[in-house]
Amino acid sequence: MRGQKKTRRGEKDKLERARFVRKHSRAKAAFLTEAGRLKVGEYLERASSLSGFWVGALEWGKRSEVEDKVIILFLFLGQSKDKSFTVAVSEDPLPRLETSIDMNENKFVLNSHHDGGEWQFNTPAMSMVPLLPNAPSLAGGLMNQITRSSYLSTPMVEVFSPGQWNHHPTSSPNMALGESNFASTSSINSIPVGKPVAISPRGMLVSTEPRIFPTSLPHFPVDSAFVERAARFSCFGSGNFSGINFFGSSPAMAPSNNEGIGDQVQKDELLQVDHESFNGSTMKNQGDQNSQIGNGESRVVIFPEDGLEGNTGSTDAALNSSSSDRGVNKRRKTVPDIERDPVQGGRQSSSETTKENIENKQKVEQINSKQTEKNGKDNSEFVKEGYVHVRARRGQATNSHSLAERVRREKISERMKYLQELVPGCSKVTGKAVMLDEIINYVQSLQRQVEVSIMFLSMKLAAVNPQLDFGIEGLLAKNLLRAHGSSSSATGFSPEMIYPQAYPSQHNLVHTGISAMASHSDTFRRAISTQSTASGYKESPLQVQPMHIPWNEELITQMAYGANPSNPQNMDSKADDFAI
Amino acid sequence: MGVIDIMDAKGTSSLGNPNPNILTPHPSKSSVAIRFLRVLSLVRHTASSSPSSRACRIRRAACSCMAYSAGPRRAWSRALLRKLVRRRRKPPRRDLPRPAAIIRRRRPVGGDRLEVALRRVVPGGAGMEYCRLLEEAADYVKCLVMQVRLMQSIVDFESHVHSVNKRSEIDPGDRN
Repeated sequence: MRGQKKTRRGEKDKLERARFVRKHSRAKAAFLTEAGRLKVGEYLERASSLSGFWVGALEWGKRSEVEDKVIILFLFLGQSKDKSFTVAVSEDPLPRLETSIDMNENKFVLNSHHDGGEWQFNTPAMSMVPLLPNAPSLAGGLMNQITRSSYLSTPMVEVFSPGQWNHHPTSSPNMALGESNFASTSSINSIPVGKPVAISPRGMLVSTEPRIFPTSLPHFPVDSAFVERAARFSCFGSGNFSGINFFGSSPAMAPSNNEGIGDQVQKDELLQVDHESFNGSTMKNQGDQNSQIGNGESRVVIFPEDGLEGNTGSTDAALNSSSSDRGVNKRRKTVPDIERDPVQGGRQSSSETTKENIENKQKVEQINSKQTEKNGKDNSEFVKEGYVHVRARRGQATNSHSLAERVRREKISERMKYLQELVPGCSKVTGKAVMLDEIINYVQSLQRQVEVSIMFLSMKLAAVNPQLDFGIEGLLAKNLLRAHGSSSSATGFSPEMIYPQAYPSQHNLVHTGISAMASHSDTFRRAISTQSTASGYKESPLQVQPMHIPWNEELITQMAYGANPSNPQNMDSKADDFAI
Repeated sequence: MGVIDIMDAKGTSSLGNPNPNILTPHPSKSSVAIRFLRVLSLVRHTASSSPSSRACRIRRAACSCMAYSAGPRRAWSRALLRKLVRRRRKPPRRDLPRPAAIIRRRRPVGGDRLEVALRRVVPGGAGMEYCRLLEEAADYVKCLVMQVRLMQSIVDFESHVHSVNKRSEIDPGDRN
């Protein structure tokens, strides 16, 4: 057992969840058959070894014709601090059940609200081993009995991801008091359970759980609808099975806990009493529904609770969380989507929600795409990193691939528009190809401008008279004359024009430069109106650049031959030209 | 109205960034200007004989200033710095992790002629996806424009100073 997992959250939990998810599919099949009990045990053992806390509920039975009857049995596998397991099975009709936890005695007591009966489950103080085999046997037994019972409809096996129980040790003091932390009228104490989510939509459970479970488990989902739904079902219809089977394993559960046996017996009675009374009460309330409950196939579904914690209240936050890996987690996308769906469905009738939940479980992908549609297109505006939510427009394909492609296309078009604004003179241009062409030309021209400026500055530096203050400090301190971009480009233009002229040896350069300018300026003027002067300017460096080195050498030779005092004059004359 | 003001006046127009991406705040013009001027003075002081090398140095200075100012979050700035580092043959600096680039969901396809050209133009554009490339191109364009303005304003300043100096020198010279 890795004790640290109890307290660590976050990444470890995610890891565990991932592992759990991988394993749960195996366990799912295992649950489906009675023979799978052992496998379930293994699975639980493995799962528990991962994190230590499992909460599961068995679901079996068949759906009624009218609506889905779901009886939720919560198989609580709790690992207490001393690394022992506690198994608690409870049906969950919230208004009826009052569960109290007596941590002092290491017992979880489920009290029927109306009946006053108690289900008590011991937390064996010893190793978990004895418990593990019991859990599946318990589950199996429950399954057996429940299938036979006429009352039972569809209990759910919900194995919850570990880590949800992390609150257990921390919240135990709360629970020890047996206080009901909820405003609900029923004084229901909390059971330190993970999230019994599973088939029932997480949102559903969200509203119910708070009543049962301590608010100290903030992420614990409870659903009122779920509660009502569970209330309708008399799971332990024939109290026998539940009592017997449930506690049949309990002695095995706590071999080391002597007191447990006595309690077990007590529990038996209590449970039976509970069940009967409970059944009676439930039957009264949902008579017709109960009749529809019948033996059914044992269908056990295990829903890993992945990524729920932290997601319940903040799906958007999770979605909008800046994770730069946009494409990494599709599952992540599904989780909040599933959540959202259950949350919405939680308000509906329970049976419908179960249907939805089951559908959700089965059709994650489809729902995911639909959910993403529902999420609204505005999200794509806000979400910069993370998950983009796209709304499928009317008449458009809702395939996930096409959605992603559309998102990408829109992103590209956005960027193109932005670039269009940046590049001057591109507002009239339409079409990606032409725009791209203009952008490329613009960037190249800018780079050439930088090159020219560098050349000029280098020349300046070479020729600079040490006496001359380069003016850096002056630049920073003084206020220079304001020069507009066009004028600066014009002045930049002029040096280029004048430089070739200044050197008769470079007439060829001049001619070539001018011709080049003339030929290229047309295209540039068409494209870039505001920098028409600069366009020619841009092109000239293109022609001049290959000559830069000889040009500079010429300059240097001239400067070298020229007398020093003449140099500044030369430079000044050039500067004069520049100033023009 | 200084060099910085010139650039700021034009820079404000680009502040309304419709780009939905989370871009780092564009480097302030003053920071780039200051940095560049400092480097220029450095270059001036370490005078070397060959102007081409000086030009190279200045070019490097300009690029590095721009890249530094843009911040290491931009891919093109990192690529630029890498190029500069290679020139200096110094031990390469550590690049900031680029998770988005490391996880290459889509291989950059070199099919489109224009796209390939854009990749060549923008530094560091080879390894990016198309969307990213467009973002980087936009940022690169902005920085380039800023740098061009900066350098041209320096040139203007220099020319202006020189013209003033020349006039001041000529008069006494004429008198002489």
